[in-house]
Amino acid sequence: MATNRTGAAQRPNGAPQTKVCQFKLVLLGESAVGKSSLVLRFVKGQFHEYQESTIGAAFLTQAIRFDDTTVKFEIWDTAGQERYHSLAPMYYRGAQSAIVVYDITNQDTFGRAKNWVKELQRQASPSIVIALAGNKSDLAAKRMVEFEEAQAYADENGLLFMETSAKTAMNVNDIFLAIANKLPKSEAGAAGAAGGGRRLADGEQPRPSQCCK
Amino acid sequence: MSTSSGDELHDQYKDLFTQDGVLLKTSVGRPVSDFNSIGMLCIVQNADGTKCIEWRPNDLITIDSDTQDQEWAVVNTVGRRQRTLSGNITSDYANLRARIIKIPLDDLKTFRITRNNQQMQFSTKPGVWQNTFYFQHGNAEIFVAYLKNHLKTAKTRHDRNTYMVVEPNDESQVLNKSFAELDIFTENTTDVVWNLVSNFKQRPYETTLEAFSKLTDIVYYGNEDVNGKRDVSEEVADLLTKSMSALEDTTSVTRSDEYEVISVKPTLPPRPCIPRGSPLSTEKWDALQDADGRIVEVEGVKQLIFRGGVAHSIRSTVWKYLLDYFPWKMTHAELKTLQKRKTEEYFSMKLQWRSVTEGQENRFSEYRDRKSLVEKDVNRTDRTHPFFAGDNNPHLAVLQDILMTYVMYNFDLGYVQGMSDILAPLLLLLGNEVDSFWCFVGFMEKIASNFDMDQAGMKHQLLQLQQLLMFASPELAQHLSQKDSGNMYFCFRWLLVWFKREFSHIDIMRLWEVLWTGLPCANFHLLICVAILDAEKEVIISRDYGFTEILKHVNDLSMTLDVDRVLSSAEGIYHQIVSAPHLTDQIRIVLGIEPLNLSMSTNSDPEPSTSTLPSTKPSQVELKEGNGNTIFGQEMDEDVVVYNGLRITIVTKTVWALLA
Ligand SMILES: Nc1nc2c(ncn2[C@@H]2O[C@H](COP(=O)(O)OP(=O)(O)O)[C@@H](O)[C@H]2O)c(=O)[nH]1
Ligand SMILES: [Mg+2]
Repeated sequence: MATNRTGAAQRPNGAPQTKVCQFKLVLLGESAVGKSSLVLRFVKGQFHEYQESTIGAAFLTQAIRFDDTTVKFEIWDTAGQERYHSLAPMYYRGAQSAIVVYDITNQDTFGRAKNWVKELQRQASPSIVIALAGNKSDLAAKRMVEFEEAQAYADENGLLFMETSAKTAMNVNDIFLAIANKLPKSEAGAAGAAGGGRRLADGEQPRPSQCCK
Repeated sequence: MSTSSGDELHDQYKDLFTQDGVLLKTSVGRPVSDFNSIGMLCIVQNADGTKCIEWRPNDLITIDSDTQDQEWAVVNTVGRRQRTLSGNITSDYANLRARIIKIPLDDLKTFRITRNNQQMQFSTKPGVWQNTFYFQHGNAEIFVAYLKNHLKTAKTRHDRNTYMVVEPNDESQVLNKSFAELDIFTENTTDVVWNLVSNFKQRPYETTLEAFSKLTDIVYYGNEDVNGKRDVSEEVADLLTKSMSALEDTTSVTRSDEYEVISVKPTLPPRPCIPRGSPLSTEKWDALQDADGRIVEVEGVKQLIFRGGVAHSIRSTVWKYLLDYFPWKMTHAELKTLQKRKTEEYFSMKLQWRSVTEGQENRFSEYRDRKSLVEKDVNRTDRTHPFFAGDNNPHLAVLQDILMTYVMYNFDLGYVQGMSDILAPLLLLLGNEVDSFWCFVGFMEKIASNFDMDQAGMKHQLLQLQQLLMFASPELAQHLSQKDSGNMYFCFRWLLVWFKREFSHIDIMRLWEVLWTGLPCANFHLLICVAILDAEKEVIISRDYGFTEILKHVNDLSMTLDVDRVLSSAEGIYHQIVSAPHLTDQIRIVLGIEPLNLSMSTNSDPEPSTSTLPSTKPSQVELKEGNGNTIFGQEMDEDVVVYNGLRITIVTKTVWALLA
């Protein structure tokens, strides 16, 4: 595990970064829609055809860099089966963002995604940024959920929306970027500077921060 | 009940107040035989003017009423003058005398009254209730009223029944004065203390009482010489810092005059290093059967398996016994019949779902849902193992069939994520659909509560794990609590599928077969958790891991653990726990050991009928009450009569709050 805990990270042009924002992001959605696969693609650039099911929860971190801002995502990947529903609030509590995932080849998972959105709107932080991901877009031949239908639903509810494919990587980075863009970073400067302005290496543990709340 | 002012004849040593019919329930450092004996609780003034609370067992009091008071005077002075026993004091009497419990008022820090005011507990050391008394006649109110004549108390904010002793000794005017100057215990400034304590977010689960009693501790012994006035919040900040480090201080302040040995911060005995044995061999296994194939020495077999597991060559046979598919006492012939019957039973259940038509399925959503859950998981179960790898692997179809048949076997439970992980190693080893199914049934029987709809079984185990860790590795438990991880949720995966995701296939076989023996105690799998966590203690604490880092670290231990080492240290921890002098009933119950206090609640019950005692009657713990959020009744914190029980029960409530 690479660690570099000292010194401000340098941007390619040598200028020190000034802002580091840390956000908690939670993935929700029916079992097997591809939540873990999306995270794995985003964080490690990998895809496993036979990604094992998630038991309990998994935690990963990934950072995205903008011009003068590093956005660190603390990503909570959860188990999707209804049986484990009661444990989800533990993970979306305090989350600034959520990706609700469905499988475009399975209409039921879209219905389930809508329920998750409702629950988040009711229970999670009011300012939470929610993105809807219609995953497995590479399986367009088996499509059961129309793009327009999902887009209309997302518009009605003020959600970010993209169809993604963890398999082909289509729109995976983009959906995380879109979330990062939408998250408020106004107070980031001071807090980020206090955090040392470093980019986290993969696997490195970020310190909890009040940044960007 | 009787009250008596001190006998004029003995103005050196006075009983200021006596209350008879007081049962000694628990007392740190006392032999168990003393518990449940009835005696008299007194407030006593010593010859030197100091006062103490004394409990005298009744059998002592009845000895010789004429010389009683005189003897008491002797009793009182022996401790200080180191006088040896002599004269008319018989050795029996000396034995009895040694059973007197004395609590100097100068040392008393807190006391509390619980159970309809009938139970009183005293503490001279933060976080440890050394003595618990039960008032059989009436209640403790009058005793408390008299006691308050001799010391100044303050009720704690968070527990109306708990009193902090503010000024134990009204004679020490000098000390009083410095307190007055420090002004730390007036209403206002205690508010400051409380605010600070409650704002101390790093330790949200730390019992506030304990934190507060640590504060009083330090005020008394750390700041007696404070003359100048300091800003109160500065003072308090200091105190907090000190109290935090005091937590880590394991030195035990043991008073050792003749009458009280108050053990503090009890530590576990050293961990024995118990080497693993060799696996149960074919020869041994054969030798353990009679001519007809019955297993003759079942306990011995289990012992051998617990020690060393099972040789791979006979695993597929032995597992059928361990998983209750084959009864130990059946002959080969009977087993043949059994297998035939079970095979028919299996296929008739399989036929049930096999004959569901597509049209039926479309109109049968509950069935459809279960089927789709099974399909989703079968496709991603152990696909990296050669046995299940590759497209259209026939073994996947067998997994699917077994799980679907299990859905018909137990439709209400259905399929829950995690079950395919439980089944895969069984099929891998047994290679046979019917055998795997029935062994799976046996395994599920052992862990069915893991898959409860409301997670009650998992929550209960996480709580028990928390209690064990608090006992066996308190520093780590403390750290976890401070980091919002006291609910132990990061162990969810371990417990749900019995470490299946943490070990290689060959290692999980070893671990499971050892755990199936049920030895050396109930819930040994929780001690496996404790062993793994204890080995990570240094890393977790020294790197100051927080909530997310703890979960990630624990998840990342997967496939790095040495199964034999883990088993061996779990067994060592088991021995440490059961031989610890401060072993509590709470821990006994978790490990399936008869609790000491059981006799109390089964005999003529002196307890108020309204309060049950979960610590002695685990079956009464309500797991599925009301809306499914509250798991334990509210009386829990009142009922756990253990030395460090206070902290644990507060965490208990937090667990439910978090998991609800
Ligand atoms: N074709 C295709 N399959 C995917 C995609 N994302 C995930 N999967 C597969 O869907 C299954 C479930 O994925 P997983 O990430 O475990 O789902 P989760 O239960 O939501 O975490 C796995 O077999 C994945 O390989 C995708 O974008 N396209
Ligand atoms: Mg997953």
